[in-house]
Amino acid sequence: MTSTETPGFEVDPALYSNLAGSQVNVELDTGDMILNLGPQHPATHGTLRLVVRLDGERVVAADPVIGYMHRGYEKLSEFRTYPQITTLINRIDWLSSFANEVPFVHGAEQLMGIEAPPRAQWIRTILTELSRIATIYLFLGEMGLQVGALTPAFWGFRDRELVLNLIESATGGRFHPNFNRIGGLKDDLPWGWIAECRTTMDKILRGCDDFEDVLVGNEIFEARTRGIGIIPGELGAAYGVSGANLRASGIDWDLRRDGKPYLAYPELDFKVWTHSDGDSFARYWVRLQETREAVRMVIQLLDGLPAGPIMAKVPRIIKVPEGEVWVETENPLGQMGYYIVSKGATGPFRVKIRSASFSNVSILPWLLRGVYVPDVITIMGSLYFILGDIDR
Amino acid sequence: MGLVEKGVFGKKPLKPVTWLLNYSRKYSLWMFQWGLACCAIEMGAALASPRYDMMRLGVIPFPASPRQADLVVISGTVTDKMAPAIKRLYEQMPDPKYVISMGSCANCGGPYWDSYSVTKGVDQVIPVDIYIPGCPPRPEALLEAIVMLQERIQNEGLGNDELAQRWRGEHVVVDNAYMAARV
Amino acid sequence: MADETPDTPDTPDASADDAVTDASAVAVEEVPAIDPAVAALFERFEAALGDGVVDHADSFGTLVVRVKPDAWKRAAEVARADLDCDYLSFISGIDWMPAPKPAGDEGGDTSAPVQPDTMTFGVTGSDGRLQVFAHVQSTTRHWGVTIKTDVADPAPTVDSWVSVYPGADWHERECWEMYGVDFSGHPKIRHLYLPGEFEGNPLRKDFALLAREVKPWPGLVDVEPMPGDDTEEGDS
Repeated sequence: MTSTETPGFEVDPALYSNLAGSQVNVELDTGDMILNLGPQHPATHGTLRLVVRLDGERVVAADPVIGYMHRGYEKLSEFRTYPQITTLINRIDWLSSFANEVPFVHGAEQLMGIEAPPRAQWIRTILTELSRIATIYLFLGEMGLQVGALTPAFWGFRDRELVLNLIESATGGRFHPNFNRIGGLKDDLPWGWIAECRTTMDKILRGCDDFEDVLVGNEIFEARTRGIGIIPGELGAAYGVSGANLRASGIDWDLRRDGKPYLAYPELDFKVWTHSDGDSFARYWVRLQETREAVRMVIQLLDGLPAGPIMAKVPRIIKVPEGEVWVETENPLGQMGYYIVSKGATGPFRVKIRSASFSNVSILPWLLRGVYVPDVITIMGSLYFILGDIDR
Repeated sequence: MGLVEKGVFGKKPLKPVTWLLNYSRKYSLWMFQWGLACCAIEMGAALASPRYDMMRLGVIPFPASPRQADLVVISGTVTDKMAPAIKRLYEQMPDPKYVISMGSCANCGGPYWDSYSVTKGVDQVIPVDIYIPGCPPRPEALLEAIVMLQERIQNEGLGNDELAQRWRGEHVVVDNAYMAARV
Repeated sequence: MADETPDTPDTPDASADDAVTDASAVAVEEVPAIDPAVAALFERFEAALGDGVVDHADSFGTLVVRVKPDAWKRAAEVARADLDCDYLSFISGIDWMPAPKPAGDEGGDTSAPVQPDTMTFGVTGSDGRLQVFAHVQSTTRHWGVTIKTDVADPAPTVDSWVSVYPGADWHERECWEMYGVDFSGHPKIRHLYLPGEFEGNPLRKDFALLAREVKPWPGLVDVEPMPGDDTEEGDS
């Protein structure tokens, strides 16, 4: 297949000689071995192919080969109208589809100079946070799977269904709601949804406690994650690592609080959790706290949900005036941004999609150097990427 | 299996034998899950979530290798970069083998029908038995596809029946050209 | 170059476009002046970069600076050192060439939105067809700046940012693959997404989508007329 594409390794000779020098017994020197993970491997969460060069059990160099899920969103966006694109971009990060729509719709609204009514903004915020819970919850379970604990994965899938049910009952779609319209939302919340949501949030909080009881403090889990895969904050930022991965490296930066105000976040009281360690454990811990924080935010939002219309007055045909806009939001996986260039037509002229996982994963060649093979899986698991978000 | 391929005295095997064989086959489907995109999560939900619990249908997920699998579920967008890998793994599966194409992307390209990098349908690469529509299909849809496949397996004839072609598979002659295509 | 006046996004010509209602047209005209915070940020940038700056604009609260091609790498260093922009968001390209005309009644692509066939260059202008642009942000000061530069059309080349932002590696590989822009100083530029034998630069405007060429959009076969046929407003 793509054997011509098999990456040539640009192994840093200095690094390699260090490793060789660290071997006490030269007779036990093992030759380099190239291990190919993927492109289809359960531990890679999809179709990431990882070519690692091993010296014994230690990784000398790693090269992720991406593009097995490249679908050409940026090109396809140029051939679609704005309402059609929201259908498409749902599928970038398929776990938090609703959160993908928000920045795009927000950008188009900015260009058109319209603003969604408050109730629509609040419901958008609720659904964004719900999709954050649905996304991260899967991570909380799967991280257990990476270190050999099967039970949390089942819990993750079980309780995630509750959140998906909420999203489905409000939007009609489990996965890809396509619920945002330019200028508001398609529909209001159904009757009884708020009470149902509160009940579910209680269950989610209890589920978070379960995860904490089982994993955090567990000797095996901590041994496999503490001190493994440390990302220095400054380097992580220069690589473009964002979201919980960066906050776990001690960088206190959350676009919900620090970015340009969007949705109902300025009116919410929430804490941005950080951790100073920067290792796999810190990433797990930060995400665990973020899930709880998201639950708190949803409850706040339900309490203060304003009444009113859910759709602003928009023209029947969406034509977006000429201009360019950069919109970014804090998505479950990190910074999601769209650079929309419009030329006054019914579709955008150019859409640059900045997806979080792409940059999060681009640090892997640096991060995997010198780690042991079993840790490769936990590090990749703790970075938590979605292949569609990498390859677009 | 001589019974299956040749039949008994050149005739079809007796009906009870066929029934028993198919019955045991359909409830021990080793399923190789080829999760590619969004549908993979729904497939994961069908497999791993207690709500759907596919194993109760006699489907055994996570085989150690495609060489031990009876069924492959292609769930998600197949790209031109991925298609050779799918073909290669399909060839490694032993006959008889079944393919379920899950989701619009695997069926026909779906929302990416005009993309420059997406294969418009996995059936261009490997033969497909069951197509599941949806973007993504719900886990229940995958369960129904499994049930449909099981019905189909139950009704498969043996001996000289046409459906027995599947049992024989394709004879692969390993020569230089074959190897050259796989380097 | 210090006397550049703030440039506002071009307002749409409402008369040419009867489908755009006055509500949206009026609202866009409300952003004439450059935001003070953006202006202050630009002053810092210009003080450090000097005459490398060609043009700048405030695009919905984000500073967009266009720099000379030979100042491209220095712009990154300035952004990192003087503007505290420690975070690389993305590097990408843009092709300003008008999109190929969609086909008419005789077949072909009838569904894609019709883009204007004149060449315009966005908020900060451009010398030619291809541009490279990047967005960097500060995690401490919470601001961001979009930096653009022009690249030549045949054999586009620009300096690599890898030594300033190591994360530029993959972004530049992507840009090379999608636009054919070469980055001098990049450690090893090679395909990122597409298989090695892929030909063409998909995001260039003259790269046609074959599927759209050979058959019309399937959604248009037997549906009711598009909502574009009546111009009355609704809120759905």
